[in-house]
Amino acid sequence: MTNFLVPRSDVGEFRRRYRWMALAASIAFLIILGRLFQLQALDGAAYSTIAHENIIRRMVLSTTRGVIRDANGKVLASSRPSYDVEIVPGRVMPSARPVHYRNGQPIVRDPDSWPRLAEILRLNPEERRTFDARIRAACVSDDDKSPCWHTPILVREDVPRDTVAELKQHHDELAGVDVVGVPVRFYPYKSLGAHMLGYVAEVDPEALAKVRPHGYEDLSREEQQRNNPLGYEAGDTVGATGIERAWESYLRGQRGWEKRVVDARGRYRTGPAAEDLVDPPARLDPIPGRDLRLSIDADLEQAIDKAMRPHAAGAVVVVDVRTGRLLALYSKPDFDPNDLSGGAGHARVREAFSRLYADPLRPMLDKTMSGAFQPGSTMKPFSALAALEDHVVDPDHTEKCEGYVVFGRRIFRCSHVHGSVRLREAIARSCNVYFFHLAEAVGMDRIARVAQSFGLGEKTGLGINPESPGRIPTRSWYALRYRGQFRVGFTLNMAIGEGDVTVTPLQLAMAYAAIANGGTLYQPQVVRSVETSDGAVVQEFPPRTRRQVPVPAEDLRRVTDALFDVVNDPNGTAYPARDPSLDVAGKTGTAQTGYVAKKEEEPKLSSFLSQNHAWFSSFAPAHSPEVAVTVLVEHGGSGPEVAVPVAMQIVHEYERLQAVRLGRPMSAKVPTVKAKGPGGKP
Amino acid sequence: MRLHHDEGLMGRVREHFDWTLFITVAALAVVGVINLYSATSVARGGHAEDYIQQIYWLVGGGIIATVIAAIDYRHYERLGYVLYASGVISLLLVFILGREIRGSSRWIYIGSYSFQPSEFMKLFLVIALAKYLHDDPKSEGRTLRDLVAPAIIAAIPTALVLLQPDLGTALILVLVFVSICALTRVQTKSLLWLGAVGVIVATAFWSYGLRGYQNERITAWLNPNENILGYNWDPHQARIAVGNGGWLGQGFMRGSQNQFLFLHEQHSDFPFPVFAEEWGFVGSVALVTLYALLVLWCLRVAASAKDRFGAVLAVGVGSVVFWHAVFNLGMATGLLPIVGVTLPLFSYGGSSVMTVLVGVGFVMNVSMRRFYASPVRASQLF
Repeated sequence: MTNFLVPRSDVGEFRRRYRWMALAASIAFLIILGRLFQLQALDGAAYSTIAHENIIRRMVLSTTRGVIRDANGKVLASSRPSYDVEIVPGRVMPSARPVHYRNGQPIVRDPDSWPRLAEILRLNPEERRTFDARIRAACVSDDDKSPCWHTPILVREDVPRDTVAELKQHHDELAGVDVVGVPVRFYPYKSLGAHMLGYVAEVDPEALAKVRPHGYEDLSREEQQRNNPLGYEAGDTVGATGIERAWESYLRGQRGWEKRVVDARGRYRTGPAAEDLVDPPARLDPIPGRDLRLSIDADLEQAIDKAMRPHAAGAVVVVDVRTGRLLALYSKPDFDPNDLSGGAGHARVREAFSRLYADPLRPMLDKTMSGAFQPGSTMKPFSALAALEDHVVDPDHTEKCEGYVVFGRRIFRCSHVHGSVRLREAIARSCNVYFFHLAEAVGMDRIARVAQSFGLGEKTGLGINPESPGRIPTRSWYALRYRGQFRVGFTLNMAIGEGDVTVTPLQLAMAYAAIANGGTLYQPQVVRSVETSDGAVVQEFPPRTRRQVPVPAEDLRRVTDALFDVVNDPNGTAYPARDPSLDVAGKTGTAQTGYVAKKEEEPKLSSFLSQNHAWFSSFAPAHSPEVAVTVLVEHGGSGPEVAVPVAMQIVHEYERLQAVRLGRPMSAKVPTVKAKGPGGKP
Repeated sequence: MRLHHDEGLMGRVREHFDWTLFITVAALAVVGVINLYSATSVARGGHAEDYIQQIYWLVGGGIIATVIAAIDYRHYERLGYVLYASGVISLLLVFILGREIRGSSRWIYIGSYSFQPSEFMKLFLVIALAKYLHDDPKSEGRTLRDLVAPAIIAAIPTALVLLQPDLGTALILVLVFVSICALTRVQTKSLLWLGAVGVIVATAFWSYGLRGYQNERITAWLNPNENILGYNWDPHQARIAVGNGGWLGQGFMRGSQNQFLFLHEQHSDFPFPVFAEEWGFVGSVALVTLYALLVLWCLRVAASAKDRFGAVLAVGVGSVVFWHAVFNLGMATGLLPIVGVTLPLFSYGGSSVMTVLVGVGFVMNVSMRRFYASPVRASQLF
């Protein structure tokens, strides 16, 4: 029977091979076992660590930026949630993905949720087409690593709350749609105090590259901390200007983190099974940013804004002469930091910036400290102090003002024919001729030294915005600039605050504060204290003196008497615009700007720019000074006519607010001291 | 066909049934289904029910294997070239009826069923080579000329499979051919020639024959720590999964690499990392031992076979299992580059399961008939 099929063949040829084959197979399997021993037994712990890191993601817990409040607790800057709508391309539009087959049948995909979203967000057809194209582009491939799953597309920023509610309501139909709450900086007073407060912006890549150098991700946590102490990451907001920038490290706060379980596609897994996989510590609580309490008074700022309403451009500084704390910093024109801080979307920010930078009135410039202007006659008190120093000029010496004076071949003019004036009248009536003679006697360098000792021509160190140092020229400065051709005219111009002299309104306010308080030049301060989010004071900033100006009290008294006369003497320049109910001393200034009209400028702008700067720098109450108020109306014209009324309104409002807050009566002016200066008190 | 040798079938089954082979394969199949259940429990795209389908195929394959084991293998020997020809024809049909999936056509669709002819071709090649060697019983060393015919037998399906293209299967076909040749006695001179030709062909193929993604896989294998988010993702995550198993494993359904979707193709190319992560070194050793046992048992059956056809059949099936297991385990542990080679009885797929079970049916057949020539028992049997 065996022969029926096929004859048995001889297997002798194969006999000796089986053992070798068995050996080879065994060796192959032993190699695999060896590899398994290596991976699992020897390196198992290391691989377990990697596997653990695979599924644990430190989710950043965001912190909230500190709130900025004014002296009375009114919120100047805080954060509010903004809701952005993002979509995962592959999930909102599965039909955009390539078709997959299984056993030859196309796999059925979920329906698109995109049309429903477009309807809820009321996208116009053009927007819809744009986003359609972007979704399709993202889903050309739908591998696990494709942007189809991993790169959300931002559809709308800062959607209104009722839209958010609608999206939540239809959540089930909107697969792949995420509403992301992003904190956005909010400035309730809008443009008020915008320059001082500043705004926040997304951290720019260059700055980020500095704190996060190449290979940052691989550094240890300690090194990362050292490099990047504030923990910046791409897309973070950072203070761009003003207090927001200067106090960034306080306001910012510190992020926390929480370990979450994620799968390979980055989706969070919840439930007890997942939570068991998290190793302790599972969480680091975020530290909210510190709140700032400013010395600024928002009500006063509002009053300033109101007083400046007739004027196109200018700056106001109000400082407490007893402490150097700033009560108001105001620069016009201004901007709305809400537009620049990203809450309303990137397009809005770009638009706002292009508008602001195109404006010839330079709304982005903080004119209180970043702009330097000729001080005009507000310089005269310092020239006078220089003259009184070492009795270079006798205060009772009279000069006859005929309305002009000739030095060399040039004629220097005065505003009026003042007749015979002494120093006091010369200040009160702002007689240039007197000061020309005075300057000639005193000399440039002495005036410069006194002016500088009052902080003019040097940065105050407030540091919230880039400060212009201004300029108090000296002979050596002219020597460098004009190569030895020094002319006495330089000195004359300097004595009346013209020519090459420039100051910032902040410098001038601090200098007048020093005149008012008996010669103490304070460091200006804007932040009164740093507080925790629940109101506990972390750090307070006591007044800081920059220096005691070496000026005799008698000289100061003479000058303050004269400044009192400016407002209160019927011949004083500010007298016509004074508020009789107020006790104010100060000095007007009408500064020539040296503007030369350019052809390409439109005539309207040209005529505006050719106007003088109007100044009034003052302090009040004159008899026991509390605040110094410096008003600059850029291209406003005459100081007495334009700047004085503004200052009067501000002082009035200051007095009113003080009366309300302290429950004291409006400080009525002492009527009998009309002819006497504040220094004339017993 | 006369059926008188079927007399006493049950008795022979009881006495000659190869329990070791059966239990080894059954154990692999059961563990494979359990592992597939875990591997696909998290998969998207409707793979979650795959393990049920796999059970159907195992049952179906088991029945076919039983039938195959029951019929004396010498009948297959007679039909050897017919079977081989049908396999080659079905490979050709792939190009006509096949549909392209991910750049290659490997499937034939009949109604709602589909199968991969290249899988079955492995067995047909073994049968054809077995028949050739059976019909050409040399006892002196073979020369190159003697090897031309078997080489052509192997080359035709290999070329067709390469055209699909399916590099993994082509590689298996070549290696099965080499394994069977290793069984024969070849002259030393011819062997050296063969070696030289092999090296030249391999080098040429390595340099010019590989497609983009194949080169990429080799680059990935040579630089295991580069681009782990791109082309090295799969081998990298597979290695982590294996390592994460440690000594005793994370426990059934508790391997985080699989549960959290870090493994891809865990139902086809990477079922082993799932297993290794869940059962650890201890489980992996047990599994590798089962495969080793199956392969060595095939050799043992071959050694006890009473004719060349049976011996080559057993060695051929053993080499199919061996190369599949070695390549798949090798790529899962980073020893070898990724070639799409399934893990027998672990990977999901009807054609693959059927092929393995039918092959085991052949081995069982040979094993059960190893006593024919025994003069002592012949009278009992017939």
